[in-house]
Amino acid sequence: MLRYYFLLGVRNLRRNPILTALMVLTLAIGVAASVSTLTILHVMSGDPIPHKSQRLLAPLIDNAPSRGYVQGSKPGDNQMSYRDAINLSASKQGERRTAVYGVAGAIEAARPDLPVEGVNGLGVESSYFAMFETPFLYGNAWSETEDKSKAKVVVLNSVKSEKLFGKENPVGKHIRMINEDFQVVGVLNNWNPLPRYTHPIGSGSAISGVDEMFIPFSTAISLELQPNGNTTCQSDVQPGWQGFLDSECTWIQYWFETKTVADRGAVKDYLDAYMAEQRKLGRYQRQQPAQLFNVMQWMDYLEIVSNDTRLSVWLSFGFLLLCLVNTVGLLLAKFSVRAPEVGVRRALGATQGDIFRQFLMEAGVIGIAGGFAGLLLALGSLALIAQQSKDLAAVARMDWPMLALTMVLALIASLLAGLLPTWRACQVTPAIQLKSQ
Amino acid sequence: MMRMQNLSKVYRTHMIETHALRGFDIHVRQGEFVTVTGPSGSGKTTFLNIAGLLETFNGGEYVLDGVDVKGMSDDARSRLRNEKLGFIFQGFNLIPDLNLYDNVDVPLRYRGLSAADRDKRIKDALAQVGLGSRIKHYPAELSGGQQQRVAIARALAGSPKLLLADEPTGNLDTQMARSVMELLEEINAGGTTILMVTHDPELAVRAQRNVHIIDGQVSDLVKKMPSLFDVNSTSATVSATA
Repeated sequence: MLRYYFLLGVRNLRRNPILTALMVLTLAIGVAASVSTLTILHVMSGDPIPHKSQRLLAPLIDNAPSRGYVQGSKPGDNQMSYRDAINLSASKQGERRTAVYGVAGAIEAARPDLPVEGVNGLGVESSYFAMFETPFLYGNAWSETEDKSKAKVVVLNSVKSEKLFGKENPVGKHIRMINEDFQVVGVLNNWNPLPRYTHPIGSGSAISGVDEMFIPFSTAISLELQPNGNTTCQSDVQPGWQGFLDSECTWIQYWFETKTVADRGAVKDYLDAYMAEQRKLGRYQRQQPAQLFNVMQWMDYLEIVSNDTRLSVWLSFGFLLLCLVNTVGLLLAKFSVRAPEVGVRRALGATQGDIFRQFLMEAGVIGIAGGFAGLLLALGSLALIAQQSKDLAAVARMDWPMLALTMVLALIASLLAGLLPTWRACQVTPAIQLKSQ
Repeated sequence: MMRMQNLSKVYRTHMIETHALRGFDIHVRQGEFVTVTGPSGSGKTTFLNIAGLLETFNGGEYVLDGVDVKGMSDDARSRLRNEKLGFIFQGFNLIPDLNLYDNVDVPLRYRGLSAADRDKRIKDALAQVGLGSRIKHYPAELSGGQQQRVAIARALAGSPKLLLADEPTGNLDTQMARSVMELLEEINAGGTTILMVTHDPELAVRAQRNVHIIDGQVSDLVKKMPSLFDVNSTSATVSATA
């Protein structure tokens, strides 16, 4: 019977084509507005590593001076000093751990006729690749031994690799980068998570920007590579690179990976103990406890998704509601002229339930048509949004789940809009309709 | 086939109460062709609506083909209507967006018959009314008489026990009306019970018997076929109730 109702619904799309077109368009506009904003929110707020995000933990230690501090306020900065990063790495807490900071430099081309290539990347520890499960096209990560020996090794992203070496496997080859010879040990295969959760603070933004190369954290430090990103210094800094490293300047993002979610407590306990110990050494003027965030908590804390984005989603759903109210009106008009048909069908044996299912299915068919039209409009509006900025271009893209959501949203919206008109259609008194024909 | 005893129907508004039917008794036997006449507002349509399970009643008893319909739910009445009744209306009441085939298909869909069974019934019914070659046509492409034939085919396709016709020739010219009446008589000859409301005295007297309604009551009986109707028999009651 549902197939029969569906076919009737499709047939009735042609009835009152202007009214039908208006309903489809109204629904499509509402759905497109909602889906467009929701797509951006979805990309920005999605869990980038869902099976592991509870076990990847970002610590936050407030080492800012006490001046201007109000109890309970947020830490002075969201990054970590080199001293703390080194101590945490030495702690061996968690299953794996890594310090991360942005680096930049230039790559000299192998051929003298080619220009020097600018390059952005990260200084990380070898465990970074396993922690964040980066896919390798060629080669592997460097080893812990190479971390310790401050080896000049590099992992490239696939785009940079192709630019430098074409399609061939560059593992084992050397590049001249930052005035040093680096050996390529691996190439990542199109890895560019959105948001860039492993290093959301610093160069570029949490949304846009690409890490083209990765070198050992220890190597970057030994080469005195200045952080390419935000650095916050709220205390005096002694001159020179060593002075900078010994300072309380914050410029490093730190990550722990625990074996189980429950192990988070042990890391927190360690951090509390570590801070207490450091306080005894005269550090940490503020009485701010250590904080520990998993990936999604960290994204929330850093407000990767702005309130404006959330507000625009609410507004667009409000707009969808308005469109629904309009659709209810149009459906009432469309169904009210069908009272004679309802009378006939009831006389011929249709129950109120049959009429309800038939008319609700018809509303659903309008919803499906509205869904397809809404999908086209949403793709168009996302294309327009993408033209506004590089950041928006990165997030204004529809994936399969959002595509499916568009259709489901249109269907649900149309069914909701169809409830009142359908209920009204069911209330038709057949005897009156049949006599008035 | 159908029996109403002491049936009453009252329409109530805030201000007034109208007794459309009161103490209404009728008994129609299997295979009868009964016409119902009466002035406007006499209760003919109310009677037909109640007989067709399109309206409920306030008091009395109505048994249709052995089923007591009093207190039945709306869904149960719909199912009974679909299984046992066929309707023919003055205004044909075909669905304009559906072709003849699909129009005749409507009641069969609600019965849940198989596609093959429905197909056979639809084609047979349309062939019976002489429109077998026009199954893909739409109602607007037919004359009034042809549309009424489609409505008859739709009613027949479900093999109803009782065919209810509400002034089926009211919108037709004399020739077409005669043709439709002949078709109904042919259907009745095939064993289908017919209850027809009409204003046309000529058609009324063509039936086996006529029931005249005035002020919601059966006012008199026109005996045409003693073998089918016996005023002295309690089992074949069409009684005037004072």
